[in-house]
Amino acid sequence: MVKYTIKRLLQTLVTVLIVATIVFLLMRMLPTDYFFTEDQLMKLTPEQKQEQLEAAGLTDPVGEQLIRFYGQILRFDFGESRRIQSGVDVVKVIGSKFTVSMRLGCTALVISLFVGVFIDIIQTINKDKLLDHIGTGYTIFVNAVPSLVSYSLVLVFGSTVLGLPSLYSTRNPGPSSILPVVCLSLASIAHYALWTRRYMVDELNKDYIKLARVKGMSFNSIMVKHVFKNAFVPLVQYIPTSFLYTIGGSLLVERFFSVPGMGPLLNDAIIRYDVNVVQTLAIIYGTMGTVGVFLGDVLMMLLDPRIKLVGKGETR
Amino acid sequence: MKKRTKVLALVLALGMVLTGCGSSSAGGNGSGDGIKDLVTWETSNREMENMVILNTEMANDLNVLGNCVEGLLETDAQGKLIPGLAKEWGTEDGGLTWTFKLREGVKWVDVNGNEKADCTAQDFVTGLEWVMNFHKNGAANTSMPTSLIKGAGEYYEYTKNLPAEEALSMDNTKFLEMVGIETPDDYTVVYHCITNATYFDTVCPSACLYPMSAAFVAEVGVENVLGSSNETIWYNGPYTLTEYIQGNTKTLTKNPTYWDKECSLFDTVTIRIIEDITVGFQLYQNGELDHIDLSEANLRTIWNDENNEYRDQLVEKLPRKYSYQMHFNYDKYNEDGTPDTNYNTAIANEAFRQSIYYGLDLTKYFERTNFINPLKCENNAYTMKGLLYFSDGTEYTAKVKELLGFGESDGKTPVRFDGAKAQELKAKAMEELSAKGVTFPVELDYYIVAGSQNALDTATVLQQIFSECLGDDYIKLNVGTYVSSQTKEVIQPQLHSFVINGWGADYGDPQNFLGQETYGEDTAYYSNNYSNINNATDADLIATYKEFTDLVNKANAITDDMDARYFAYAEAEAYMLQHALSVPTLLDISWQLTHVNDYTRSNAMFGIQNYMYKNWETSVDAYTTEQYDAIAEEFYK
Repeated sequence: MVKYTIKRLLQTLVTVLIVATIVFLLMRMLPTDYFFTEDQLMKLTPEQKQEQLEAAGLTDPVGEQLIRFYGQILRFDFGESRRIQSGVDVVKVIGSKFTVSMRLGCTALVISLFVGVFIDIIQTINKDKLLDHIGTGYTIFVNAVPSLVSYSLVLVFGSTVLGLPSLYSTRNPGPSSILPVVCLSLASIAHYALWTRRYMVDELNKDYIKLARVKGMSFNSIMVKHVFKNAFVPLVQYIPTSFLYTIGGSLLVERFFSVPGMGPLLNDAIIRYDVNVVQTLAIIYGTMGTVGVFLGDVLMMLLDPRIKLVGKGETR
Repeated sequence: MKKRTKVLALVLALGMVLTGCGSSSAGGNGSGDGIKDLVTWETSNREMENMVILNTEMANDLNVLGNCVEGLLETDAQGKLIPGLAKEWGTEDGGLTWTFKLREGVKWVDVNGNEKADCTAQDFVTGLEWVMNFHKNGAANTSMPTSLIKGAGEYYEYTKNLPAEEALSMDNTKFLEMVGIETPDDYTVVYHCITNATYFDTVCPSACLYPMSAAFVAEVGVENVLGSSNETIWYNGPYTLTEYIQGNTKTLTKNPTYWDKECSLFDTVTIRIIEDITVGFQLYQNGELDHIDLSEANLRTIWNDENNEYRDQLVEKLPRKYSYQMHFNYDKYNEDGTPDTNYNTAIANEAFRQSIYYGLDLTKYFERTNFINPLKCENNAYTMKGLLYFSDGTEYTAKVKELLGFGESDGKTPVRFDGAKAQELKAKAMEELSAKGVTFPVELDYYIVAGSQNALDTATVLQQIFSECLGDDYIKLNVGTYVSSQTKEVIQPQLHSFVINGWGADYGDPQNFLGQETYGEDTAYYSNNYSNINNATDADLIATYKEFTDLVNKANAITDDMDARYFAYAEAEAYMLQHALSVPTLLDISWQLTHVNDYTRSNAMFGIQNYMYKNWETSVDAYTTEQYDAIAEEFYK
C-alpha cells in the first residue's frame, strides 16, 4: 500500500508538471497582443508595447521562460496577477476565493449526497409507484431544463416568495448562501438519485438478495446491510474528486449569484491573459483531479475488500 | 419528530454550519429625506482591476477610485468646472501657464480615516512623476501630459532608457528639472504647457493629473505600489474603500476628514456586482438595489402593461457622455487577408457615403435603446452634445447642426433622414462606381460579439434598415462575430467595413473629438486604428480628409478668442459630416427605475467624476415619471 501510494503520488507530480507545461506553452502560443488591454493596444505605440513585453520577460526564448517557470514552481513563487488584481500575489488572489467556493461547494455536496441518496432509497422502495415516478420526473426536469432557467426560477421564487437575499454577501453569508447552495445541489441531487437508484435496483435483482429473502432476513436488513452498501461502492469513487472540485467552484452559479469564488476565475484570467493566474489554476486543478482519483480508489478499496489496488505487479 | 423531518433538520443544520451563519445585513435605505446608504451596481465584466488611480484609465477602476482620491478640480451637474482641491485657478498668458492655488488642511488618510499626511502641491508633482515614469506606470494614460506639458514626453523617454531599479528609485529632482511643473510654495502648483492650451483646466478632472503622496510610496515601497490593496492605499477623497471583495461587493464609507464639510455624502455606498441587468431588475424589485437600468425587454414589459407597478416609475436617463459614430474603414481586408477592393473603392466615393448618411432612417435602431422616445437618441454631430458652450450660451453641437442646415425634429422621423436625396445619391454612386468596376450590391461587414443575443438583435435591426432604406440591390450588410476582443480579432486585421463606436471626451475642447479623425497625424485615434485613412489611395478622399485636417488645425491655432475657436471647429465638423467621412448614429439615452435624482449628479462630458457620489439627491421612495419630468423641466430652464 505504501509503495502504491508513493507511486501514485509520483505519477501525480509528473501529471501536474505535464499539465502546467502544456498550459504554459499554450499561453505563449497566443499572440502577444493578448498581453495588452484594448485601450493599451490602441493607444500605446509599437515601441511602447515592445518595451512592456521585454520588461515582462515575454520576448525571451520560450525555453528560457519555461526554465524560469519551473524555478518559480520549485520556490512556490507563482508571481503576481496582471489584470484580475494588478500587482497582487496570485496566491493571495486565489486564497481569498478558495474558501468561499469550498464552503458553498462542500455544503452543496453534503446536501446532494444526503438528499440524493434519500430520494433514491424512497424511489427504490417504491419502484414503479408514484414516488418513484416523481423522483424520475425531478431527475429528467433538472437534466432537461437549461441551468440558467433553473437558477432564474430558484432566484425568483427564493427572493420574491421566501424573501431570501438574491446575491451572496460576505456580511450575511448564512442566508445569502441558501440560493447558491440550492442551485449547486440541484443537479448533484439528481445525479446521485439517478445512479444510486440504478445500482440499488441492480442489486435487488441479484440472486444473493433472493437467497437472503428466502432465508428470512428482514427487508430493512437486506436494504441496509447488502443492497445499499454494495450499490454505494461505485459512487464512493467519485466523492473525493467531487469534494476537491468544490474548491474549483461553479462558473455559472457563482456568476449568477455574485459569489466571490473560484468559479469564474479561470475564465476571467484566460480572457484577460493573466498568465500567472492561469498557470497557477492549472496546477491546482491538475493536482485536484489526480489526487481525487487516487483517493477515490483508496476509498473504494476500503469499503469493498474484494477490490485490490495492487496485484501481481499491476496497479489499477 | 418523524424520521423524515429529522433528516431534513439534520441537512439544514449541517448546511448552516458549513456555510457559516453571519449577522444579518445592516444595509438598506436610511430614513429621512433621502437614502443614507446607497446600494448601486456594476456588471461582472466591469469589475475593477487596479487600486492605484494613476496606473489606470479604465472606467471600471476610475468610477470607484474617483471617490477615493480627489484632484484639482471637480465638475458639477451642469458639467462645469468647480473648485476641488484647487480653490482658485487660471491662466494669464492664453493657456501657456496655468496656476492652481490649493486649499489648506486637506489630509491624506488610511482606510479607517486615520490621518497620514497633509495633501500639498508636492503630491501633484509626485503624481505626475509617477504617471510619466516608464517603469512606474504601465497604463496608457500618458498621452495627455505628453502632448500638453513641457518636457513630460522627454521625461518618459528618459526613464524608459534607465534600468528599472534606477527609474523606480528616482525622486522628483530630475523630474522637476525636465518637466514644466513647479511648486512655488506648498499650496501652489504651476503647469507650463507646450502650446496655448486654453482648455488645460478641463484636463484636471482626468486621473493622469491626480496627486500621490510621496510618504505613501515610502510607506508601502515603490515596488509594492501597484499591488496595493484598499487597505494600504491612502485617501483624500470623499470616501474610503472599506470593503473590496472581488466579484461581489465594494463598499465606500464616508471619509470623516474630507475637506468639503458642506457637501452631502452617503454614509456608505455599496457597489454590488451583478451578472446582468436582468438579474439586477430582480434585485431592484426585492429592494436590494437603489436603481437599475432597464433592458429593452424589461422596459417593454413594464410600458405595455398599464397595471404594472413600476409603470409610473419609469424615468429617462440623461445621455451618457459618448457620441456614437459609424466609423468607416477606408482600407478594408477580407478574412483571407486580401484587400476588399470592391468595398474600398465604393466607400471612397462621396456619393456612396452620403447616401448612407442621408438614407438611413435609424428610428428602429434608436428603439433598441429607447423605444419610448427613440428620436431623442438621434445624434447629428461628431462632438458630444453638452461638451461646451459659446459665450452667448449656445451649445456647440447646436451650432454644428445650424451649419449643416438641420432644423428641429418633427418627432416622427430623424432630422437627417432624406429618402429622396438618398435615392439621388444612390443613383449617382452606382453610376460612378460601376464605371470603376464596382459590383453591386456592395457588401459591408459589421462585427458583433459572439453569443450576445442583444447585439445580434440590434445588428439584425440594422440589417433591416439598410435593406429597407437603401435596397438590397445596392448594399448588403453582413453580420460577423468575434469571440472576445474586437480590437484583436476585427479592428487590427481591418476586417470591418464600419464600427459603431462612442467617444467620450478626455477634456473640454472640440479638438479632443475632431483631432481623432485628422489625416496623417500619429495622435489621431480613429484615423490610425479604425478608419485607416492614412493607408487610403483614393485621391479625392485624401483631398477631402486633408481639407478637413487643415480646418481643424486652423481652429487649433486660435487661442485668444474662444468663440472664434469653437466656431472654427464647428465649421470643420460640419465639413466632415457634409462629406460623410463619419456618420453620427446615437446618443445613449435609456430608461431606468431609480431612487437617485440624476440631475444632481456631476454630469460632465469629460473627466472621471460622473460616478463621484457627492451631492446626489435621493429619495427613499422611487422617483415617479411625473416627478422626474418636473425635475428635468426645472433643470433645463
